[in-house]
Order: sequence, then structure tokens, then C-alpha cells
Amino acid sequence: MARPSVAEADTVRLKLDGRSALRLALGFAAAVAFWFVFATPYERILAAAAESLVRVFESPPVTRLIPGEGEIRVERADFPPASPRPGLPTADTHFNFVLLAALFAMAPRPLRPRNFGRFWLAAAGLFIVHAVAILFQVESLYALRLGPWSEAHYGRFAANFWSAGFHFYQVAGRFAAPFALWWLFARPEVETKRR
Amino acid sequence: MKAGATSGRRRSLLFLARFLLLLVTCYFAVAWRPVNDAVIVPFTAGVARAAAALLGLLGEPVSVAGTVIRSSRFSVEIENGCNGIETALLFGSAVLAFPAPWRRRAVGLVLGFAAIQLINLIRVVTLFWIGAHRPVFFNSSHTVLWQSVVVLCGVALFLLWVSWEQKARAAADRGAPERR
Repeated sequence: MARPSVAEADTVRLKLDGRSALRLALGFAAAVAFWFVFATPYERILAAAAESLVRVFESPPVTRLIPGEGEIRVERADFPPASPRPGLPTADTHFNFVLLAALFAMAPRPLRPRNFGRFWLAAAGLFIVHAVAILFQVESLYALRLGPWSEAHYGRFAANFWSAGFHFYQVAGRFAAPFALWWLFARPEVETKRR
Repeated sequence: MKAGATSGRRRSLLFLARFLLLLVTCYFAVAWRPVNDAVIVPFTAGVARAAAALLGLLGEPVSVAGTVIRSSRFSVEIENGCNGIETALLFGSAVLAFPAPWRRRAVGLVLGFAAIQLINLIRVVTLFWIGAHRPVFFNSSHTVLWQSVVVLCGVALFLLWVSWEQKARAAADRGAPERR
């Protein structure tokens, strides 16, 4: 790879000093408190959005996603009445809101309307990421964990696609999403002066 | 001025595209079964042994079997997602995507990986102690607090590396003869 030019390096100038580290820590603490308070109502909205998304891939639409007690319960109209209903732990999916908020708090003036507006745009992006992650989680469950029913309805490619997608989110995507959204929406706020 | 801003924005988006591409590539490399079995699982067992040794030094008698740490009060299995690899992937992809000479990238990768593993070791030890002595706080500490702290440390290490890289570049530019 060719050595990058000085001009190229100039465009992505960031820094972490004592003040931005302090804002990061304070933003993290505030975001954790916010997340604990609003996680339950958020899960209701998220379950409704994810249910609509799951139903796009169903004919007829039979899946219902019911939030409650830290998980989203998966109901299907064609599940045998006596069978146990699978539950999806939700905190793992959406705790990364805390990361996004903490990263935005690093800006020199984090409460300035422009930064705040960009933060909520990025949070809306993260909401879409969460809904897609739950879609992959539900489809991965259908493809792998329902025994003969899974084998009858999902081919090898489909099973691998949904399970690999969900595994990617679990291992790397849930951490990368807040970083990528922060970079996309807020990077100019943390850029230092050009030399 | 406008052209400069557009160009800067384009380079910023290019960084993001490179970062995401590298992250997906690295993910598939470590998630591939032979790599997982030959590298990731033994590495995770090493993390478990190091954490157990540290817990022993802190007066918490534990035993280790593979990736499981066990005491009379609590046991925990270190899985993918708890071995610091995910934060290392994030950090490594960001360093490799950032425009910098390979030597400085290599320095960043080695020191960053070591720092992330040190932070993750503290996380595993702390979580085990919480699980053994304050189990009611284990789930929230595990899912929200420590995972976020380790990832934020990864991002902070990336920003520190960028600061260092830019200082080193400025020093090199000052030392180099001017070319026109």
C-alpha cells in the first residue's frame, strides 16, 4: 500500500485529552442511568418495529414479538399451544446505546443543539440496527432451533445467512455500530484545528 | 474551502468504509471454525488461566478447566465476546483503516492489543469477584458496564494512537527536507 499523503492524514485529525476523557466518563455514567430508566419502554417500541420487519419475510405473517421482563418472547400463531415460547434477551442487543451516548459526550460542547441533533440522528440509526439485529436473531432461531421444522423450512444457505448475521452482530457488530454511527454523524465535532 | 471540506468528508467516509470492510473480513477470519478451534479457544483458555492466577493472588481460590473458572461460590465460562477479541477486532480494524505508515500501525496494534487484554483481564477478575460476592449485580455489570467500558477503552486507545501518529508525522515532516 502506498504511503498516505500528509493531506490525507490531515483530514481525520482527532485527539483524546484529559477533558474529552472526563466528558467521555461523565457521558458514560449519564447514559447508563438513562438506559436503565428507559430500557423497558424502548423494548416495547423495538419489539413492535422488529415484529413488522420479521413479518416482511413471512407469508402468512404469524410472528408476534412480546416484550417483558428483560426479554422479547417469540409467539407464532402456528406454535403448538403447550410448547414453551422462546425468549430473546434484549439488553445484549441494545445496551450499545450507552456507547453511542458516551462517544457523543466527548465533543467539546456536548449539549450544543447541533451535537445533540446529530446524536439523536445517530440514535435513530442505532434503532434501525437494533430492529435488524432482532430480525436476524428471530430468523436464526427459526432456522436452527426448531428441529425438524427448521430443516423443512430453511435451506443450508438461509440457515447460515441468518445465523452468521446474528453472530456477527453479537461478536463485532454491536460494538462497531455505535462507533461507525458516531464517526458518521459526529466526527467533525471532535476534530481538532488544522495545522 | 468548500472543495477541501468535501474532500475531507470523502476521506472520512473512505475511512469508515475501510473500517467496516476490515471488520467484516477479520470477523470471518476469527469465526471460521479451524481458526476458532486452533487460535481463539486456546487463547480464551489462556485468558481464563491468567484471570485464575490473578484471582489466586487476590485471595480468591479458584480452579480452571478449559475456559471455565470455578470456585466453591461461583463459576463462569469465558466465551467469545468476553475474551477481549471483539474489542481487539474493532481497534485493529480502525488502526488498519487509518492512513498511517505500516510501522506506526504495527506499534499501535501490538501495544493496543496488550492494553485491551490487560483491561479485559481486570474485567474478568472483577466480574468473577462480583459473581462470587455480589451476584445480584452480576448481570448488569457483565452486560452493560464492563462490556461498554472495555469497548470505550478500545476507542480511547484508538484516539490516543491517532494523536501519537499525528505527532510522529508532524515531527517527521519537520525533519524532512522541503520538496517542491
